[in-house]
Amino acid sequence: MGKQEDFVLRALEERDVRFVRLWFTDVQGFLKSVAVAPAELEGAFSEGIGFDGSAIEGFARVYESDMLAMPDPTTFQILPWRGEGPSTARMFCDIVMPDGSPSYADPRYVLKRTLSAAAEKGFTFYTHPEIEFYLFKDTPNSTAEPVPVDRSGYFDHTAQSYGSDFRREAITMLEAMGISVEFSHHEGGPGQQEIDLRYADALSTADNIMTFRTVVREVALSQGIWATFMPKPFTEHPGSGMHTHVSLFEGDRNAFFEAGAEYQLSQTGRQFIAGVLTHASEITALTNQWVNSYKRLLGGGEAPSYICWGHNNRSAMVRVPMYKPNKGQSTRIELRTIDPACNPYLAFAAILGAGMKGIEEGYELPREAEDDVWSLNERERQSLGIEPLPKTLYEAIRVAESSELLPEVLGEHVYEYFLRNKRAEWDEYRVQVSAFERSRMLPVL
Amino acid sequence: MSPVPRPAGRATLLRLGFQELDDARDRLALLGEAAVELQEPLAETPDPDLALRGLVDLLEAVDDPETLRTRIVEDRQTARRLLQVLGGSRALSEHLLRHPEQWRELDDDTLASTRAPAYFMRECLVRAVGADPQAREPIASIPDTAAVDALRVEYRRLLLRLVARDLAHAVGVDDVAAELSDLAAGTLEAALAVARARVGEETAGSARLAVIAMGKCGGHELNYVSDVDVVFVFEPAEGTDETRALRAATQLAANLMQVCSEHTAAGTIWPVDAALRPEGKAGPLVRTLASHEGYYERWAKTWEFQALLKARPVAGDRALGAEYVAMVAPFVWAAASRDGFVADVQAMRRRVLEHLPAAEASRQLKLGSGGLRDVEFAVQLLQLVHGRTDAEVRAPTTLSALHDLTQAGYVGRDDGRTLHDAYCFLRSLEHRIQLFDLRRTHVVPDDDASLRRLGRSLGHLKDPIAGLEKQWRHHRREVRRLHEKLFYRPLLSAVARIPGPEARLSPERATDWLAALGYADPAAALRHLEAMTAGVSRTAAIQRSLLPVMLEWFADAPDPDAGLWGFRRISESLGRTHWYLRLLRDEGEVAERLARVLATSRYATDLLEREPNGVRLLADDLTPWGGTTLAAEMRASAGRQPCIDDAARAIRAVRRRELLRIATGELVGATDVLRVGRGLTALTDATLGATLELAERAIREIRGLDEAPTRLAIIAMGRYGGLELSYGSDADVMFVHDPVPGADPQAAAQYAQAVANELRRMLAMPATDPPLEVDADLRPEGKQGPLVRTLDSYAAYYARWSAVWEFQALLRAYPAVGDPELLTRFMAMVDPLRFPAGGISEDDIREVRRIKARVDDERLPRGADPHTHLKLGRGGLADIEWTVQLLQMRHAGQVPGLRTPRTLKALAAAGEAGLLADEDREALTLAWRTVSATRNAITLVRGKPSDNLPHTARERAGVAAVLGYAPGESDEMVNDYLRVTRLARGVVERVFWG
Repeated sequence: MGKQEDFVLRALEERDVRFVRLWFTDVQGFLKSVAVAPAELEGAFSEGIGFDGSAIEGFARVYESDMLAMPDPTTFQILPWRGEGPSTARMFCDIVMPDGSPSYADPRYVLKRTLSAAAEKGFTFYTHPEIEFYLFKDTPNSTAEPVPVDRSGYFDHTAQSYGSDFRREAITMLEAMGISVEFSHHEGGPGQQEIDLRYADALSTADNIMTFRTVVREVALSQGIWATFMPKPFTEHPGSGMHTHVSLFEGDRNAFFEAGAEYQLSQTGRQFIAGVLTHASEITALTNQWVNSYKRLLGGGEAPSYICWGHNNRSAMVRVPMYKPNKGQSTRIELRTIDPACNPYLAFAAILGAGMKGIEEGYELPREAEDDVWSLNERERQSLGIEPLPKTLYEAIRVAESSELLPEVLGEHVYEYFLRNKRAEWDEYRVQVSAFERSRMLPVL
Repeated sequence: MSPVPRPAGRATLLRLGFQELDDARDRLALLGEAAVELQEPLAETPDPDLALRGLVDLLEAVDDPETLRTRIVEDRQTARRLLQVLGGSRALSEHLLRHPEQWRELDDDTLASTRAPAYFMRECLVRAVGADPQAREPIASIPDTAAVDALRVEYRRLLLRLVARDLAHAVGVDDVAAELSDLAAGTLEAALAVARARVGEETAGSARLAVIAMGKCGGHELNYVSDVDVVFVFEPAEGTDETRALRAATQLAANLMQVCSEHTAAGTIWPVDAALRPEGKAGPLVRTLASHEGYYERWAKTWEFQALLKARPVAGDRALGAEYVAMVAPFVWAAASRDGFVADVQAMRRRVLEHLPAAEASRQLKLGSGGLRDVEFAVQLLQLVHGRTDAEVRAPTTLSALHDLTQAGYVGRDDGRTLHDAYCFLRSLEHRIQLFDLRRTHVVPDDDASLRRLGRSLGHLKDPIAGLEKQWRHHRREVRRLHEKLFYRPLLSAVARIPGPEARLSPERATDWLAALGYADPAAALRHLEAMTAGVSRTAAIQRSLLPVMLEWFADAPDPDAGLWGFRRISESLGRTHWYLRLLRDEGEVAERLARVLATSRYATDLLEREPNGVRLLADDLTPWGGTTLAAEMRASAGRQPCIDDAARAIRAVRRRELLRIATGELVGATDVLRVGRGLTALTDATLGATLELAERAIREIRGLDEAPTRLAIIAMGRYGGLELSYGSDADVMFVHDPVPGADPQAAAQYAQAVANELRRMLAMPATDPPLEVDADLRPEGKQGPLVRTLDSYAAYYARWSAVWEFQALLRAYPAVGDPELLTRFMAMVDPLRFPAGGISEDDIREVRRIKARVDDERLPRGADPHTHLKLGRGGLADIEWTVQLLQMRHAGQVPGLRTPRTLKALAAAGEAGLLADEDREALTLAWRTVSATRNAITLVRGKPSDNLPHTARERAGVAAVLGYAPGESDEMVNDYLRVTRLARGVVERVFWG
């Protein structure tokens, strides 16, 4: 037994932990949890906890349902929301097959594999997400329009608002779980909040996002309100995105930084962006995986729907933020398509995979988009060579189906399952008769 | 009487070892009288040409050539030292030319007898940068650039003295390495003094910094040129806060590294590498004691503790350094009780080997198999394991540790001595290689000039190249042999009471160790070991020497337990035969093959268990035999049996042996899937041929016939016809006969029918080999039709009734055995049917597609995964073969290349004819190979055929191993399978479905 495992076992003893929740993520990005008593944990470290993989969305081919969850002791945390007294802890797990080989169905392994492919080239991948979400007064109910907790707007300070109370408590909890929060404020829509997580390596960030979504929901419930990461809950208000800043490091040097280059952006950085743009349509199915995601992308404002990049251009899909002098280490690019309802492991893997492709094949970065892309007309965009992103989940699936990059990044199993699942979602969606149709047509037809 | 100077003859020059004779003569002439005196010392140098040229140049460069000339003539020792340096190191020759006055360093008799102590070298080096060696924290006082250069010149001066000792006075390699480490320690101290001057006295004073040497420098066994591995530890000086001290210490450390690594006008020293620090390159350069401790407590990995074994304070604050070493020691000696410790250590070694460029691997001194790293690994591993409880074996120096381990009985005395000799040799060779250019390299050069120089410098004055290669090969082989023994031998001592000063291991520790090595049931494994090695018989003694290495091979295979158990059973049935153990002991490859077979393949294990004598075959060439040789042997072997059934068994015994040969060849990676298919087909041809003759003889005897009333032949169909058989396949055939003129057709048909039935009976009857199922269901009218038809009957049937799918089946018809003329006529009859000149009609194409659609749907067994079913799954064999066959039926009339029963050949022909794009052809070819190889692997692992990827983890791991995947990569194998077949399906969608 290694030191980290010992550390966990000691902590269980000292903190009077009664339950340990073992967390992992299914292919769609839903958190799964199995609770074990502390006494079982020692065994879990050495042999894993067996479970029936075929019962988890997208995990197993039916006949090989036996899988093992191996807790990763470096992710050990006490869960802060269980109140005083005996506490509960959680750890993320890696999924392995009974012979100890890592499972290709495990989204965490998908990301780990992509990260280690990049590491072989000498790169580590860092991400920094800005997560937006809405707070509603009540739990969802399918007939009524949800009511936001306030009517404020961007950066508004609201006296004794639900929002700021909520953010304070959520942030306290996140910090208690070792997740550093950089920034938080009220966003543009009524009841819409944004909380930014601190820069970290992509695997930790993905773990953190999974934790974050849970913490935010828990805190909301404890205050009698409802939190949602649905990408676009209102037609008229802005959607919730998860703008993500990404960068590559070579050792302790930021590989995107080059003093004196345009925007201080190195060749590596430019090729990375070129990779993301070239494969933008293919990876959209992962960064924006729901039918509803596309309503945000088409909604304008902060959400991009064209494949282009710009320096400080908020309408571009990839934004190169303003360079702050002497901050070479913080050179990064911001991806604005991704939304908070994605599976962060798969989405990060896809982004990194696309970017690395750009570096490996030495893609040329296209011209920068200097104008507000929304305000251009179709012809102007055409002449500038700016292509649109997929407009619906269906288009995204079609592009993903002919992608060579995605099966390489995701592995055959996840790739196939994911597409099958998304096709089913689309098929189900397109037969629905919507409120829009009724309100338009019932009166006149 | 002084000798008259006269030019040396060419023969003399050759004897002295010169290569460039004309130049040598001219240069010797320049030396005048001195030439005679110098002949002998020149002849002793590694490279006389180089030494002579260096001397002539040096005489020109010095201010006072006469003194130099006089000294080397007068003092033989001075001459030897100077010439050895000039002839052994080009880099130091150049150094001498730049600093000619330094030749006087070599004019010093104490060099022969006295090693420069560490404190002396430290003093020289620290003084060279203008610092006070007595100060608690010496600071350089001369300007920075000058100090950096001065350090380099002084370093080279001391190195020059050391090299002279090494080459001219035969100092032991361990002493040279220790002196080099002392020199490095002094250099680090001086570099620290320069660093202090750079950051300023006040800043420097705010932190106590200790430099800890790791690796070779820490172990007191440095090379001439290698990275010096260090770790920096600091504590704030009194009255300073930690943040300030951290900044100061980081600056000091970074500057120290730069001073040593920098390349200046005065050259370079060696790079300082701090990558062994906590978190490696990503971690902070310096840490406090407490921070180090926290890291080692929580995060460190096994290899980091292995590295700490050699930690030794060499410069900076000694007290702090000592505290650090005292802090890490308990961690080091507890490392062996960590989970999976041995597996970690072995995985590290595997990684090192894998990352070696293949071209270099065989000439690598350090990392290759049988290299220095093997010795160091073995010694360190034994130290970590036994040092936990035994403080006697904790020395950081490899050779000292080896000595201690031998003294304490953890390593046998002979093994210890052999390893010692090998290590000394390899290190000496490495030193001499590096010395020449003072370049960091661990690769033995392969050009004759370098090899000659190296050989001569190691004492092979006659035939230096061959002598060197031979000695090197010998030591490398010994290291490889012992390395394996050292790991596994202690396991035996736990069960067998081996006499003498051998390693000791308690049964509990042995069980742990076996479990760590991958044995699922270590208690049973220990019992097998006990059973095989108990007693004083010769068998037990041989087993004891054999098992350590067998245990390793088992451990590297997917099912070590099965391997050991199988080995015990085979040994028990063969143990007393005279050849068995000798074969395994003397032919290392046989034992390795046996281990691999037993721990991987049930199919081959079954074959071996039915007939243990098959072990002998493992010593043979594993290339599958051709059909003619096999047929001759089968016929001869059958002919010696009086009774028909025994004759059939004799034929099948040959087949069993050949199955084992082919299976073993595939398991050890010697035979690829195409060769396996061809080999199995040839084997089936021979078997059917010999059995057919036998069956005819039997029927003729029963019926009292002298002459056969008809001639018989067998047409191979399906995968058999395509030369693509796999282990479990039935032989798909059609029987054809042709009555001799004048014979009664009825009687001829009855005779043919009887022969076919007799043949099938002989091949299916129970025996000690897997039966060969002869399947004739592809014949006209299938099971309802007559088993045997005449050629005319076939022709009539195909002319009248036949549907497109029957012509499709005929694509793979192949004349296998029987009457040659009949075979030719049969093929001539079916060729126009299967390769229609104008291709098949649109209707027929539609029909083929419709049948395939139905087959896809109906034939897939219930519960099978449509993605991974090897035959009918997505991109599986049926997909590929139907695609190829449709192309054949449409185009073979025009494209002669397509007229082949073999899938890959047809694919290649379709590519050449432009019917398939290159990438499509490649995708299909790759998929066909992958699926076929997987199918074979499954049969080999499970012992029986299956068309599904295995469900159980152990079987899947076995299949992955047979296919060449490393342990723990079985899901990667599945992923690759899915990828390859998905791409193939993409092609099928376009090409077959259109």
